[in-house]
Amino acid sequence: MRALILIVALTLVSLAGTAPVQAQEGHPLKGSWIGTWTGNKTHGNDVVIVMNWDGKAVTGMINPGTDNIPIKAATLNPTGWVVHLEADGKDKGGAVVSYVIDGKIENLPLPNRTITGTWKSQKENGAFKIGRQ
Amino acid sequence: MKLGAPRVFAAALAGLLLATVPLIAHHEILAKFDDKKPMTLNGVVTLVDWRNPHAHVFMNVKDAKNEVLNWAIELESPIDLGENGWSRETLQPGDAIVVEGWAARNGTRQVWGNSVAVKATGRKVMTVVAKVPPPLLQARPTPRWPDKQPRLGAPSPGSAQGYWAFPSSTALVENGVTAPMDQWGLLKNIADAPKVAPLQPWAQALYLERQRRFLQDDPMFLNCKPPGGPRQFQQPYGVQFVEDRERKRIFVLIGSGNSNYRIIQTDGRTFAGQVGGDDDNPLYYGRSVAKWEGDSLVADTRGFNEDFWFTNGGLPHTDQLRLIEKFTRADFDTLKYEVTIEDPGAYTRSWSANATLRWVAAEELPRFLCQENRP
Repeated sequence: MRALILIVALTLVSLAGTAPVQAQEGHPLKGSWIGTWTGNKTHGNDVVIVMNWDGKAVTGMINPGTDNIPIKAATLNPTGWVVHLEADGKDKGGAVVSYVIDGKIENLPLPNRTITGTWKSQKENGAFKIGRQ
Repeated sequence: MKLGAPRVFAAALAGLLLATVPLIAHHEILAKFDDKKPMTLNGVVTLVDWRNPHAHVFMNVKDAKNEVLNWAIELESPIDLGENGWSRETLQPGDAIVVEGWAARNGTRQVWGNSVAVKATGRKVMTVVAKVPPPLLQARPTPRWPDKQPRLGAPSPGSAQGYWAFPSSTALVENGVTAPMDQWGLLKNIADAPKVAPLQPWAQALYLERQRRFLQDDPMFLNCKPPGGPRQFQQPYGVQFVEDRERKRIFVLIGSGNSNYRIIQTDGRTFAGQVGGDDDNPLYYGRSVAKWEGDSLVADTRGFNEDFWFTNGGLPHTDQLRLIEKFTRADFDTLKYEVTIEDPGAYTRSWSANATLRWVAAEELPRFLCQENRP
């Protein structure tokens, strides 16, 4: 599973290296993001997040197509562009792993803006950084 | 320092000239240059780069240490310069010039050229006087097709084309709201931002961010992204309506951006299969279907992408944007443009804005191509 995530991640990274990031002037969270949640032994160091905005709520998925962790709560506070994500995944044994991600959008005006912060679950925590693709 | 009367007069004159410097360019000049940092350069021309969206003159200038540095002087577009009688031949490498302008915000050796003078003669070159529409002496009747439907484009078959320009408003503001801004939508008072439109909190914060950064993130400025939505009617080079009645469609040729076009379908089709936007192929100009209601063409447009700013000034939109546009040729020389914005992704309710455009007779659209010198 981790190898698959790594392949997906490397593919996205290689694409990002050859093609300009698609402009996205709408809701700042909308789009595909790729990066790392450092120290995550349950779901691997690399992370892919896809988010959407329907006008009322942010929805999305962590590691779509591999671990498929649906985002159950997501907020964006425009004051400081503070991001809060919550999602429940499962470990190899089937136990629920509840993730909480807190971060801040940096380089807001740029298409390849980033979200930098921290992540934590019941057992682990670490630094979090993703960049919009 | 005490100023004598001549100096006071000169300073006042300079201030007046500065205040009336015509800024026509394809984007907010203040996005790149700082009007609070005037500077004067004395040097020698090394190269003239005559390409849209802006012509550039490169010049060698000696600094305080007697070191020669190359500076780029940004000017209006070759189209505007050409209309004022200037060409790529006006200045030649080796010409000594004096440039007065505004320094680049990012500290690079770039200057917006408010004034370029040939040092030997003092002759001002590359000056641009903004075009103004001729005064209307009397209202002429709306030109019509034989079936009495108003003509949105050329007044009669075989006549010179003509186009619409000189918009009365160059940035969207909700009807009834007063929020002074410059021609590129930069607010005079940023505290007016919440009044401009009924923005959702995130959209208002993003609008404020864009305003605070002098609109320098405008994708039309950075990457020549098309002026989709109402922005196509806010640009300096106008729009042209070409009515293809046989196939029941109207082409809107965009004079700015990259000379793109938009098609308004008038054949009675609906949005079947595209309701809520065409997810597979969202567009800069969306998909438009229209019908005539009396003397007005009413267009319903959906399917926009999120890769552009739909108005000068940087009001955000999402792919849920829907525009109801009403075009009325009130008389021969006046086109009323009324637009209702529906975008539940970015706004708390629908809202409307109006503008008028003036007919520019007997001329084709300026041949402007932003991407000549942009990535």
